[in-house]
Amino acid sequence: MTGPEQTARPAADADGPAGFAQFPTALRFALRNQTRNRLAAVLLVVFVPVWYALMMAMVGHQSLSFKLFSTGQVLVVDGGQLTLISAGLNALSLIVGFAVFDAIRKALNFDRRLVFAGYRQAGLIGAKTLSIGIIASCVALYAAVVLLVFWRPSIAGWLAIVAGYAVIALTYGAFGLLLGVLVKGDLEGFFLIIMGGLMDTFLQNPLGNPLANKPVLEWFPSFGPMQFAVGGAFGNTALWGRLLIGLAWSAGFALCGLVVFRVKTRTRRHQAQPVAGRDRRVVTAH
Amino acid sequence: MTAVLVAEGIRKSYGHHQVLAGADLQVEPGQLVAVVGENGAGKSTLLKALAGTLKTDGGTVELTGTLGYCPQQAVLSDNLTVGQHLRYFAAAYQLADLARGESLLDQLGYAKYRNTSAGALSGGTRQKLNLTLALLHDPDVLLLDEPYQGFDWETYLRFWDLVGDLRERGTAIVLITHLVFEQDRFDVLADLVHGRLQLRSPHESPSGGDDDRP
Repeated sequence: MTGPEQTARPAADADGPAGFAQFPTALRFALRNQTRNRLAAVLLVVFVPVWYALMMAMVGHQSLSFKLFSTGQVLVVDGGQLTLISAGLNALSLIVGFAVFDAIRKALNFDRRLVFAGYRQAGLIGAKTLSIGIIASCVALYAAVVLLVFWRPSIAGWLAIVAGYAVIALTYGAFGLLLGVLVKGDLEGFFLIIMGGLMDTFLQNPLGNPLANKPVLEWFPSFGPMQFAVGGAFGNTALWGRLLIGLAWSAGFALCGLVVFRVKTRTRRHQAQPVAGRDRRVVTAH
Repeated sequence: MTAVLVAEGIRKSYGHHQVLAGADLQVEPGQLVAVVGENGAGKSTLLKALAGTLKTDGGTVELTGTLGYCPQQAVLSDNLTVGQHLRYFAAAYQLADLARGESLLDQLGYAKYRNTSAGALSGGTRQKLNLTLALLHDPDVLLLDEPYQGFDWETYLRFWDLVGDLRERGTAIVLITHLVFEQDRFDVLADLVHGRLQLRSPHESPSGGDDDRP
């Protein structure tokens, strides 16, 4: 028999006691969930440097023309260095997109159960958004640090690459979130992320795409990060407007994903009506 | 005694197939009700409707107090440990401490797995955690969908000890079961036949439909 001292007590504060406050708890466990993907970790540690080295070895130092759309300026740049940036964007799109998709999809039923148990959707949504932001930023910084092994741009140029990387990681993290709440199967989601990331980042590089300097590329998610990173690294300009376009993609994907998340975790939990004492009278009309 | 769970006229169809056709049920504090019926009769659908996790086509559910619902399939997060599950749901239920959770770990005999990830647990232990999460806030009404799948015999007996404790606390329990030999444990058997519940005592014969045999 369980004694009365073991009776669960509702906390006085609506957000629970300090130990079990909803938002910090959700953030902590969302981070744990999204960093437990071993394949993504291996890809990060192995794939990123190997991908850089492969690109550098294959491309060499041929000159390429790259157009900055906001200024109209055409930069003539080292093809190997440009391809390093493009390879970093490509690797981040795949790894972050995959890691977030996998974590969100697997947790959806569990999140629904948490909401049913009383978790506020806003707390879960805020925690997931912040955790994706933290992970995307850390992974982007890592990829930019590894880049330094192959190429030492100016500090301002490197910071521009970090920013471009962070935005592409956020964008594909948000894309992974959207797919995670929409797509039921693993394969469909992975395929969409791989195809989307490859096409998007490949098309931005004039090395592989003769049409890379055409305006149609403005409508792709990696356009803004690529323009900002290349403009900063080779043109000593900060194209903030282009970076904002990248952030807009990120915000758009995240907003759509979070709206679907909210709908899918919505519960028909019985609505409470206050009555005397601790009991609540609850009525649900279907 | 006043019923703490009153369901009236619950209807639910999947396409043209009507699963619930006006199911009625009343459960009082401390009462233990078994929902029985053939495979596909709609038992899980009924429990989801009572819990409010499923949109129905009609009917009302009135509930007094707090609700705990244990789904048939364990809904867990494989990357989180047992202890982390308890903390996550303590935050959801806004509990002040984990005393009840710790007590349930002991009662169900899996406290040694406190620091084990759910993904590394056996099927039976996952089911214990699944059940614990539904009980953590000491609900007034408990809905259990075949809660002891994968339990070994000892755990099965511990489960019934736990149910005895809950009944003494006044918890109303609705439980889906297939096991004919345990039906004497219940106060009421609710046969789900043609989308409606036919209530009888455990010692009466069913008036329609065949229960599943284990």
